[in-house]
Order: sequence, then structure tokens, then C-alpha cells
Amino acid sequence: MFNKLNERSRKEQYISRRKFWMEAGMGIGGLALLDLMSQDKLLGAECVAGGKIDSPLSPKPTHFKPRAKSVISLFMSGGVSHMDTFDYKPALEKYNRMPMEGHGDIKVRQGYPGPLMKSPFSFKQYGQSGAWVSELFPNIATIVDDLAFMHSCQGTSNDHVISHYEWNTGSIQMGFPSVGSWVTYGLGSENQNLPGFVVVLDQKGGPYAGPPNWQNGFLPAAYQGTVFRSKGDPILDLSAPGQYMTPEQQRARLDQMDLLNASFDEQYPGMSELSARISSYELAYRMQGCAPEAVDLSSESDETKQLYGINDPACASYGKQCLLARRLVERGVRFVQLMSGAYVSIEDTWDAHADIVANHTKHAREVDKPITGLITDLKRRGLLDSTAVMWHSEFGRMPISQRGMGRDHNPGAMTIFMAGAGIQGGQSIGASDEVGYKAADQKLTNHDVHATLLHLLGMDHKRMTYYFNGRNMRLTDVSGELIPQIVGNIQAKA
Amino acid sequence: MHQVVCKIKQASRSVALSGAFALVAYTAVLSQGLQAQQVSEADVQAALKRCGQCHGPTLQMSKLDLSTREGMLKGGEKGPAIVPGDAEASPLYRRISGLQAPVMPMPPVPALNAQEVELVKNWINQGAKMAAVATPAASATPAAGATSAYPGGYTPREITDADRSWWAFKKPVRNTPPTVRDAKWGHNPIDAFVANMREQKGLEGAPEADRRTLIRRAYMDLIGLLPPEAEVDAFVKDPAPDAYAKLVDKLLASPNYGERWGRNWLDVVRYADSSGFEFDITVENAWRYRDYVIKAFNEDKPYNQFIIEQLAGDELDKPTPDSLIATTYYRVGPRVRFREANYPSYRYDYMDDMVRTTFQGFQGLSVNCARCHDHKFDPITRLDYFKTVSAFWSYVDYDQPLVPKDQVDAYNAKLKALADEMTPLRQEIARIEKPYQEKRREQQVQDALKKFPPDIQEAIKTAPEKRTEGQKLLVAQVIIGGPDIDPDNVVADANSSAKAKAAAKANEVFGAGPENYGRGPLKLNPEDEKKRAALQAKIAAIEERLPAPLPTADGVRDGDYRLTPDGLGDSHIPGTGRPDYGIKCCFIPAVGTKFEVPPLYFAANSDDIKINASTFPVQPGFLTVLTDPKNPPPTTHVPNRTDYVTSGRRRALAEAIASADNPLTARVMVNRIWAWHFGTGIVSTPGNFGKMGTLPSHPELLDWLATEFVQKGWSVKAMHRIIMNSETYKMASAFSREADLKADPTNVYLWRFPPHRAEAEIIRDITLDASGKLNRQFGGEPFFPAIPASLRADQPRGVWELTKEEPSTWRRGVYAYIKRGLKYPMFEVFDEPDLNVTCERRATSTVPTQALTLMNNEFTLKQAGYFADRVWQTAGSNPEKQVTQMYHIALSRDPSPSEMRANLEFLKKQTDAAAAKNAAGDSAARSALNDLAHVTLNLNEFVYIK
Repeated sequence: MFNKLNERSRKEQYISRRKFWMEAGMGIGGLALLDLMSQDKLLGAECVAGGKIDSPLSPKPTHFKPRAKSVISLFMSGGVSHMDTFDYKPALEKYNRMPMEGHGDIKVRQGYPGPLMKSPFSFKQYGQSGAWVSELFPNIATIVDDLAFMHSCQGTSNDHVISHYEWNTGSIQMGFPSVGSWVTYGLGSENQNLPGFVVVLDQKGGPYAGPPNWQNGFLPAAYQGTVFRSKGDPILDLSAPGQYMTPEQQRARLDQMDLLNASFDEQYPGMSELSARISSYELAYRMQGCAPEAVDLSSESDETKQLYGINDPACASYGKQCLLARRLVERGVRFVQLMSGAYVSIEDTWDAHADIVANHTKHAREVDKPITGLITDLKRRGLLDSTAVMWHSEFGRMPISQRGMGRDHNPGAMTIFMAGAGIQGGQSIGASDEVGYKAADQKLTNHDVHATLLHLLGMDHKRMTYYFNGRNMRLTDVSGELIPQIVGNIQAKA
Repeated sequence: MHQVVCKIKQASRSVALSGAFALVAYTAVLSQGLQAQQVSEADVQAALKRCGQCHGPTLQMSKLDLSTREGMLKGGEKGPAIVPGDAEASPLYRRISGLQAPVMPMPPVPALNAQEVELVKNWINQGAKMAAVATPAASATPAAGATSAYPGGYTPREITDADRSWWAFKKPVRNTPPTVRDAKWGHNPIDAFVANMREQKGLEGAPEADRRTLIRRAYMDLIGLLPPEAEVDAFVKDPAPDAYAKLVDKLLASPNYGERWGRNWLDVVRYADSSGFEFDITVENAWRYRDYVIKAFNEDKPYNQFIIEQLAGDELDKPTPDSLIATTYYRVGPRVRFREANYPSYRYDYMDDMVRTTFQGFQGLSVNCARCHDHKFDPITRLDYFKTVSAFWSYVDYDQPLVPKDQVDAYNAKLKALADEMTPLRQEIARIEKPYQEKRREQQVQDALKKFPPDIQEAIKTAPEKRTEGQKLLVAQVIIGGPDIDPDNVVADANSSAKAKAAAKANEVFGAGPENYGRGPLKLNPEDEKKRAALQAKIAAIEERLPAPLPTADGVRDGDYRLTPDGLGDSHIPGTGRPDYGIKCCFIPAVGTKFEVPPLYFAANSDDIKINASTFPVQPGFLTVLTDPKNPPPTTHVPNRTDYVTSGRRRALAEAIASADNPLTARVMVNRIWAWHFGTGIVSTPGNFGKMGTLPSHPELLDWLATEFVQKGWSVKAMHRIIMNSETYKMASAFSREADLKADPTNVYLWRFPPHRAEAEIIRDITLDASGKLNRQFGGEPFFPAIPASLRADQPRGVWELTKEEPSTWRRGVYAYIKRGLKYPMFEVFDEPDLNVTCERRATSTVPTQALTLMNNEFTLKQAGYFADRVWQTAGSNPEKQVTQMYHIALSRDPSPSEMRANLEFLKKQTDAAAAKNAAGDSAARSALNDLAHVTLNLNEFVYIK
């Protein structure tokens, strides 16, 4: 054996741990701290401090100067009707209950193609920009000058799950890495004490497609999205069930593991994965303290909570998701996705087949104030400039009715809006056709939107690749054009 | 056999019936206003042009040529196509209008629209006049000056001699193993090649690992379990020179070997138990395929046979239950399995999955990259891609019964007899229900008038002839016809109530869509209710006599995919999908009939493609670069049997792959075997031997192994023997020389055995093995590992039984249910591969969530407790014995003196700490031992194969 354990003093036994904390930027002081602290005494500031440890999630250089550091994706699962929210179509009033003609083949997902149906919601113009917003979003209406609307987004499938894959992973096939996985693969994360890619689900359950929305696909497991849970521990296995192990026992076990691993490690010089494994336990230990701190909203003021609508039962749940997103971004988490819509039943999603009024009124109410609060709060804290916020869904809905009062799926057109990251607000980009069936001017695909998002983060979507099964894979496959109105005059430079 | 077939496609008869009803009604609406006007020949020719794709000058399916009037009059195998002056008597009109099955044209050729059908009808009625057309020869010749041999200007890249000279496309050459300086490395050819390479690089090999390391390595590597203490002792003490060789033989004979190495193969074939996408439906018999793979490894099935069975196990001269199960290979990939008929592009994506899996898996080539263009790096053309798809094109999903034909026949006869008993009873029920059906339709209108807003109410109230076009659409949307049942035509299906139950269960998952409107159970008056209940009771009594379902394989066979029975959610609502063919017969060719594989069109991505001059049907063929132009391999190999109709395309493809002359097949497999032993392959990209892959680190060794593999009858176990008995394999891993580390830091040239982390399943298996709680139940249906209910809510669709940490869930990882929509978290964090594409090598990533899992998940904590109990039982309260015992079980070695000291100190400290809280006698010491057990299960050494 090559074991040198017997020659080591008690103090030296901690070498690998000290090395770890030095690398983590904590220095010797961190050691003392480590011995003193128990998880529940961790301070927020320590959780915010970024680590410099060599991990798959270490921050990586960007291709060019980034506009934003982090992303918040507000994903409305089930398919939001663009004609009933932000894409005002006066022509539908004119043609109400008349057959849709001259717009190409009518491909429905369910039932029989009905006649055109005007929006049951009233529209008004808001802000300096005069953006049209329906009565569904009275709060978002007040911040339209901060938002850039893209009315000409277009997908390829009218299947929910395939379209979720399309917009959340870049491919209509199952199994590709999600956008958040690509972003953390490309950029790492600012804070090693928290996952780099966090997903917060609707409190009722997962969206259409479930975990493949945030999976790492062929990228290493390090880049998979971590679901922050609304009940109990925010992260799966963040703490042990009480009957098995006390925190003191856990600390003692970790120390012993560290000691024994170090002697094994010495036999394999040059094998960094062994020391990485040792470090991962310390990171996990840190996460045990930092994740609960990050999700603890009790330190937020009442005013802030009200801003997010947390005092209102109708929107408290998404309000908490939004407030959590701000806290995570503040702490250096790279990519946060907040789901609205749980596929426990279609009525718990935005999938308004039966009745657009009942469905969209309910879900818009859930998210309107929280989203407005989030953007307002990010702005006043100076975080909006470094955060790209995107509101999107898997497809739009049909301008024709389904069973008289609902609307069927329509991948032909949908509206997405973005904010932050220095994006010029108050813009209206692209247009759908007169009735909203298909994107007409400046058609935008998922690849265009993803390429643009990466660009805002300082990454060239054509250069960010991962070798897999014989190909250098890209989030944007072989497509993707930057959206000029979003990227503005920022020039790519190496 | 139809009953067996139908299980996969739970066709709901009522859905199909009402769909047909709706179609007729809708077509009638469209036809209004089309007058019998005088038609022009040019218009008719334009309308019939697409028929010429299959019945034209270049291709005459069923010997029918519709490009001339003469051809139509002469007709084909089924007689004349037209009777001039009588459209109703003309098969051409009858088929394009849907009056006669099969309805024409078939996909991918688009159907004629109502105007076109009307046009043809009028044209025939007016005498079917047509001037002579251009001669077939003229139309088949490419335009003068065209540079392409194919329509549409496609010119595949030329495959040159230079292309063929890429190392992987040349047949492996068996070189004499080189002579090496140190005789120790001269006995096994592997050693000679490896040592020779090291000599060239100035590296030195490590000494042989100690016996404890060797036995643990051999166990972990071959069977994925820990060596029992007694085995370790016996091996260490065994003075025989062949003790190690005997150990290898013994492990190869263990059934656990297949559990370990079969799992490796499941990575290659992107195995999962559910199909993914929205509903994540279970592949019911996927586990039989998993067990087939395990068995194939255990029985050392020759690899060439293993290939042929998976690709064409049903096309053999003498298929076996195993070879039929092997074809489940086709069905364990990602599949939507919902509304497939309405989305004609899906089949093309499934074909892409087959091309990708088969060619990356067996051939190390990314043929799938040539779907949209010639391959960017390798000499694979887009035409090669479509030839390959064409080889798969004939297959359809088919549940193969796993019992002899006479049993199947007896089973079906029994079902038929029972159905015949039920038919009059069901007819009687239908007769009772009929007036209620009619009443319900009325009621539906009344309900709608209450439910919908005024403008819809108005539309309903407006007399049909006075409705605007928009009102017609509205009414069609909100008032949907229920089944229009003729009691005399009701035919019972013995399994109907099982199907009804399945449909009800499916509805729980899928939700009753608008198509189901008006089809719930009918409420009758008490008297009729009583009559119906009595009839239903009689039916139920007959159902009691139903024979148990036959065991089946979720396999494939040749058939016409266009005629696949309705699947879940498939509907025939106008505008949503393929036309309804109205075909009552099954989609499987009957014995004695001729089977024509449906045409596959070049560059098609969907049946929706516009068939025009730029595309053409593609016949099957093997990759050009692997084909000797003078002696191309056959493209079909029809089995020598009369009781099974099949094209033999898949078998021909399988045989071209499984050929000893194929330069890639043996190389790719021996390289995979090498990679699974050493953590890295000789080619480090086992799924890619093309230009985007890496070059072999030891090309001569790879070739030698490939030729040896074929010479040894494609025996995988022979490869294990020769690899594991080499000095190269037996080298120590805990060894390094500064110079070697500097010259070859990643150990490409094997100067030590490369230690590597065990895979997710193995980490779980050895944890159970250490605790003594491993449930060794072999094979069978999968189990569900315990997950929290909150995680289940992330993906509410499909199956996941919530279980507890209990012995039934402590089976080996290979038997865990693999759900595409929801991975078992412990496997997921430890780099379980992407389940949707073939995995060429698993990643080994290190993330804090892995540590959280092993530190805090109940599974590990609970097993740590059992591990401690186990040690306590044998070692008692003696801490030294405890530490020794723990090391023996988990690490197969003695603790070093310093480790002993450190662990004793730890035990004491933890005992004291526990005692301070809880003074009771043994419990403090046991708590400390539990601490150490948990520590041990988390050690790097525990999870590494070293």
C-alpha cells in the first residue's frame, strides 16, 4: 500500500479539505468557519459568495461581452392564445363566426374546424409604445414599455409535448438537452453552492412532457435542471430523513470519508475525478445550507411580497415562484425556469380547448401580477439589465373556435415577449397574419429565439458545441438567426 | 390471430364507426354545389396524375397502368379499372371516392379532393374519352442534358477509392503479434501489441495487481457484484497457477454475468420500458427483450446470430420464441404511440431512430446524418440513407404470440366460439338501446341550446338549409353524432369488455375528448334496464370462460403500415390526418397472398410529401462504401417457409451486417467489449468509426481482436477470456511512475489498469450486495424503485407505481422500470445515458447531487443500517473485527494499520457522541458502526473498479 495516513498528524488530515476551501476562495478562515458552522447557521452572504472550485459548473469565459448573466424563463404550459392576450386582431371581429378562408389548410388537433372566433376579451393600447394588451393582463399592461413583443413566432407541431421539446430543448425529437442545460454547459454558473439551472414547477405538478423539459440529454449529468420543490426540502435528498442521521453525525461521516478518501486518492496521482468526487461532497454540504436559505422568503419585506401578489390567494403561488427566481438570480444561479401549468388535467394548464374565457381568465390571473412584480423588482434592484426574462409557451391557439367557445392548438403563430438584458422595450417585432393563424412578417423559429438568447449571454450559438455520436451538436442544430431588434447594435467580437 | 394482434392497437370499434359516419356527412356537405358539368381531359389527366406514381409507365403495382385509356380498360390483376359511361361500376371511381376498399391513392400519395373525385366521375360517365399520351419510354427518360441519374436533379456524391481506403472500411488484417523485450508480455497477443506500443512510446507497464484487487475487479467487471469474503480468501490462498483463469471461467458461467453485460448492450439499443412523449406508454413486453439480451450473453449466443435475431428474428427459416422476442429491438425506442395515423411524419422519425440505432450500434457509422443531405464527413450518401430506410420500411409493430401455431389457432377458435355465443346477446342489447340512442341525439341539441352562448344557439335553431357557412361549421362542432348502430350488424368480440375496460383506463389518462361526446352509457327505463342487465350478465358469464391471454412478444413483422388498425387517439376527422381507407381486413399479409412493400420515396420526411417529378421510389440496398459493386449483397432474403409472408428485406440487411466480410461489425463489437472492460475503447468513440470518430490507439490490436472474434465463432465470452487473462488486464491500477504519468497522463497506452467509476446500476447493486439485502430474483417484469410522490407529480402520465424501500424493490438495477419521461433520480445523477439515442459510452460526471443522493437518500441510509447489522452479527461488539469485516465485504481487503487506527478512533468518537445522547448499552456502539457503514458505502474506493 502507498498509504501515508499513518504519517499524518491530526492537522494534516484536513489537508484535502483545506485545499478545497482554498480553492473555493474561502482561505484558511473558511476552515475555522467550517468547524464552527452547522448548516442552519449559514449566512446568506456566504451562500452568495461564488466559489472558484474546479467543477463542471465553474464559470467559463464567454465568446464575447455578454449583455446578461442570467436567464429567467416564464413558461406557460398548454399553449397561450396570442389573439386573446397580446396579438390584437380586429379582423376577427369583422369575420367572427365566418369560415376561415385564404389562409391555407386548416389542421386541427381535436374535433371539427369551426368558424373564426373573435376574442371574447377587450383590448386597449398602453404605454408610450401603445402596445395592445387584452383585459387578461391589467398589470403587465402597465410595463409594456419594458417589454419586446415578438408576434411572429412559429413552431412545427401541434402536439403539446413535441412543442415543449421544440421550445425548451431546440429539437422536436425526445431526448435533446434543454436550453438551461446548454446555457450552464456553455457558461457554468456563478454560484457553486446552488445548482446552476433551477426549475420551479407549478405547485400542482409538472408541465406537459415533464422532466424532458429540463433534462441534460446527451450533455453530462452536471447540466441537468434541478427542480426546486415547493414543499419540504427544495432539492431532492437535500437532507436525510431525521430518523437516519443527525446533522452532527453527517458532519462526522463526511470528515471520515474525506480522511479515508484522501489516502485512496494518493495512490492515483493525476486522476482529478477522484478529488472532484471529494469536493462534490463538500459542495453538497454547502448546498444543504444555501438552498434552504435561497428559498426562504421570510426575510423579504411585506411590500415586496405584495408587489409579487403573494398576499392574493389567486396568484400567491406563481408570486412565490417569481420572488424565488429573483433571489436565485441574485445569488448567481444562471438559468431559472418557472412553469405555469400542471398537466394533472388540461384545465390546470393553458390548454383552452373547451372554453377560452374560463381557462385563460384563471391562468392569466395567476401570473399577471407576479410577472409584473418580478420585472419591476428586478428593475428597481438593478438586476434587470443583467437578466434576460422571457415569457413563452409551446404554441399559440387557433383563430377558429373549437366546440364554439374554445380554441385548438396552433403552432403557426404565437407571441413571446422578452425583457431585460438591455433589450429595447416597447417594441413590437414581426406580425402574424390578419387573423393570427400563421406568422407572416419576420417569421421566428425556436432556433432564432435560442440563438438570440445565447447571444445576449455572450455566446455564439454556432460555436457553442458538444461532440456527441459523431457530430458537434448545437442547441440551434443547423439553423438560427439573431433577431436584430432584440440584439440591437451589439456586435459580436471574439 | 387477430385478437392477439389487436392488443397493441386498442382499436375502439365505436370510434371507428362514428368517425366513418362523420366522414360521410362531411363529404356530403362538400359535394353540394358540384354539378355534373362537362369535363376537360386535361383536368382529368391532372387529377389522375398522382395515380401514375404506382400505376404508371415506370411502376405498375398490381400490374395496373393508369397512364392511358387502354391501360385503364385492360386493367390489372383485379380486372379493368373503368367501365366507360358507368362511374358507379368503375373500380377507379369506386376506390378514389371511398366506395370500395382499399381506398386509393394510398399514402404517401395525397388523396383526391372532392372536386377531383367528382371530375373523374363525370368524365367516366361521359365516356372516359382520352387522346393517346406520350409513350412510357419517353416519359421515363431524363430530360436531355440532365446531369443527374435521378429525378429532381439529385446527384449523390461519388464514392471513390480514396473513400473506400479509410481504415475502418478496409477488412481487418491479422498481423502476427510483435516480439517484445520482456517475455512476460509475449504470451498473450493482446500483451504483445500493448507492450510493443508502450515500448515505442517509452512507457513501462505496471506490475500485476494483488489478488484481492484482481478478484474484486473481475467480479465488478464481469458480474457487477462484490466478491464474497470466502471467495476472496480461497482465491488469495489458491496456489494453482490457473487460479485466476478458473475464476474468470466461473464468473462467465454465472447468470449474474448476463445481468451485468446485458445492461451494457441495453445502452447501445436505447432500451426503456416506456415509449416517451406525451403519454409515456409502457411497452408491455419490453422486459422479455431485456431478459432475452441477458440470456443471450449468458448463453454466449454468437454475436452474428444476435444481430440477425434482433433485426430479423421473425424472418428466419425457423424462428424461435427468443428470435421473435429479439425483434422488440424495434419497439423499445422513443415512440409517440398516440394519434400516429394523424401525424404521417412520425413513421419517418421512427425509421430514423432505426437507422441511427442500427448503424451507430452495429456499424459505428452515423448514417442518420445523411437524412437531409449527403454525409458531411463520411462517404455516405442521402440515397444510401433512403436505401437503408427502405430495408426497414416493410416492418410494422406486431405482437408475436410465443406459443406454437396450433395453440394460437385453438385460442382463436375458442375466442370465436365465445364471440358467436355473445353476438345474439349483443344484438339484443343494441335493439333495446336503439330508441334511446335516437332520443339522446335529440337531447344533445337541447343541452347545447342551454349551454352555449346566443350566437351558437341561434345557429342550432336555424333550419339546416338556411344556415350560413359559418353556422354550419359551428353546428358541426357542437352537435356531434353518436354511433349509428344497426342492431342486426352487431358482431361480438370476445374481448370487448376487456377492451372497454382498457378504453376506460385510457380515458382516465387521456381525458374524454370531444370525439367521445354522446357515447357514454345509456340510461334506460327500469324495465329495459332489467332486460339489458340480464343480457349483460349472460355475456359476463361467457366472458368467465375466456382463455388466459397468450404470452406475446412486442415484436415486428412485415405488413402494410398504411393499413395499421387505429391506435390510441387516431381519428378520422376531416382535415386532421390520413384518409380513412375503410379497410376491414388486417394489415398483415395472409399466407398465400403476394405482399408488396409500400413504396418509399426519396427525400420523404412524411407521407404528406408532394409526390412529383423530384422524387422517386427507393429500393433497399446496403451502404455503397461497404458494397463491392461487382458483388453487391442481396437486398432480400425471403425465408424458406410457406406459412409466413415477408419481404426478407430486414434479413438481408441483418446478414450484410453480420457478415464476416463486413469490415466494421467485428471491430465495432470487440471495441465495445474492450471499452466496457477498460473504461475506454481502442477507438474511444465506439459508435463512430468514421472521420468524426477517433483513430484507434492500437490499430493492430483492434484488427487482431476482430479477426479472433470471427475465428472464435463470434463468441463474446472468448473475448472476455482472452482479454481478462492478459497481463494487460491484470496490471495494477494503483501504480504510477512520474515519467509515464508525464508522457501519457490519460493512460491511453495502458501503462496501468485504468480505474473507473462503476455505473449507476452497479453502484446500487453493490450497495445492496454489501448490506446483504440484494434480492436476486432473476428476470421477469420490471420493478419500480422507490421515489417520493412529489417526484411522480413531475410527470403524471404513464406508469410509475409508488413503492417503498423494501425487499421487492431491492432487485438489481437492470430490472428497474425505465421510464423515458421520468428517470429514477439515483440513476439519473450517476450518468444514466440519454434513453432516446444509442449510447456509445457513458459519461462519468461528478456533481454535488450525486453526493446528496448517497448521503441523504433513504436507500443508501437504510442499506448502511443493514450493512452495519450484518457486520455486527459476525464481528460482534469488537471494533477491530468490525472494521476488518467491513473492509472485507465492501473493499475485499484488509484495512491498513493507519486506516484501522483512524476508523477505531472514529468509532470511539461516534460511540461517545451517541452515548452522550443515548446511554443504552449496545446502541451507541451500533450507531457508530452505522456511521462507519455509511462512510464506507460512500468511499471512492467502494464505487470504483480499480
